[in-house]
Order: sequence, then structure tokens, then C-alpha cells
Amino acid sequence: MRAMYLANYFVAGCIASSLLGWVASLHPYAFRAVLCLLATIAIAWGLSWLLDFSLSKLLKISVADLQALLISGLAMLLIGLGVFLCT
Amino acid sequence: MHLKLFVLSASSVVLWLTPLVALDKKLDIHKALQGVSLTAAIACAVTAGNIARELSEQGEIEEIKARAITADVVDEIATSAYISQQQRQQEAEQILATDEEIDEQEAELNSIKESLELLLNQSSNDSAELAVVNLSTRQHEQIELILQCHAKGISGKNKILKEVWGVSAGSSQAYRNAKAEYEYLMPFIKEEEEGG
Repeated sequence: MRAMYLANYFVAGCIASSLLGWVASLHPYAFRAVLCLLATIAIAWGLSWLLDFSLSKLLKISVADLQALLISGLAMLLIGLGVFLCT
Repeated sequence: MHLKLFVLSASSVVLWLTPLVALDKKLDIHKALQGVSLTAAIACAVTAGNIARELSEQGEIEEIKARAITADVVDEIATSAYISQQQRQQEAEQILATDEEIDEQEAELNSIKESLELLLNQSSNDSAELAVVNLSTRQHEQIELILQCHAKGISGKNKILKEVWGVSAGSSQAYRNAKAEYEYLMPFIKEEEEGG
């Protein structure tokens, strides 16, 4: 059941990424806003990798869990945007 | 709950992929439908995730309960085994203690038996003395005569009978009476000889 709830949250993340792509497709300004958001997410993602030990203490989770979260977040973003762009 | 979870999971995937793939892009409401569909898909996925997490936590609690019950059962079995072992040990100790008591009783009985035998020997000696005391004067005289015969070197029974009782060997009643009396006096004669 643990795998089931993790899979559901993963799918939710993928759909959220697709929704982000859909928002970007609505208007050029929206596209720029989404690009800014993605850039911000990318910077935060990179910083999280650099500061993983501090973040793990702050969030009270293990470093391995934090790294798994970061990787799965990237995967969700890529899959969601990939699905939206390919269709 | 499980059915709801599976339906929500499947619908979230369908609502995510179907509008993106199947919807005709020439429709005016194409974008709006995509947005609504994606929003609904996110809602479905998050709800399904929450339900799955709840079920997972319940499963963990059930597992902990099962482990606790198993531990209780194991503990109870171990306790009962320990108690039965202690009981058997106590019974064995009691049996051993009973054996020791029996040994003690036997020893006591033996000591009583020995003391009784001693008492019996003593009483028989006393009775023998009494018998000596109760011998008649004539028997005393006969004993003395026999001893004198022994002192003279006369040791044959017939000779002694002839010297003391004045009867010759044969089958007469007098001889048999004398012989019986001589045999009756023999232990007293031996005692006299041993006593000096």
C-alpha cells in the first residue's frame, strides 16, 4: 500500500507538470511566467543537492530520502512536460 | 476503500492523458477542457494518494498489533513452560526428600532393631544365669562330679555316665534319663570350664 500511495503522489506530480505546460500554452506572458517558475525550481533543485545535509536536518528526514525526493521531482517534471509537449 | 482507491487512481491517469491525446484541437473549448481535466486529474491523484497513505498506516498499525500479540503469545508460552518446569522440579525435590525420610526411618528402625537385639541377648544371658541359679543342689553336685571327671581325664560320655549316674551303656530307661540329664547339663559344664 505504501508503493500505491507513493505512485499516486508521483502521478499527481506528473499531472501538475502537465498543468504547468498547459498554463504556459495559454498566453506568451503565461509562458514567460512558467519559464521563470521553472528556472526558480531548477535553481532550488540544484541548491538542494548542494545543501542536502543541512536540508535533511531542517526537514528531519534522511539524506537518502531527500535525494530520492529530488530525483522523483525531476522525473515528475520531465514526464509531465514530456507528455504535454508530445501530445 | 480499496475500490475507491483504484477507481481514483485509474481516473486520474485517464483524465490526465485522454484530453491531451484524444481531444480535437480545433474545438473552441479544447484548452478549457484540458485545464478542467488536468485539475480534476490532480484532485483524483491526490485523493487516491491520501487514501492509500491512510490504508498503509492502518496496515502498519495492524502489523504492530499482530507482532505484539505474537510476542504476548510467545511470552505466555515461555512463562507456562517455566512454571511447569518449576513444578516438575519441586515434585522431584519432594520425591527425593521422601526417599531421604524413608532412609532416615530405615536407619532409625535398624538402630531400634539393634537395641532390641542387644536387649534380647542381655535378657537371654540373664535367663541363663537364672537357669544356673535355679539348678538343683543335686544337679550342682553332678556338675561338680563331671568337672572332677574331666579333671581326671575322663572325657567319654559313657564313662562319665557310669561314674556320676552309675549307669552302664545300653537301652535301659535309667541310661536314657541319665544321658538326657547329662546333655541338659552340658552347656552349664562348658560355661563352668570356660569361666574357670
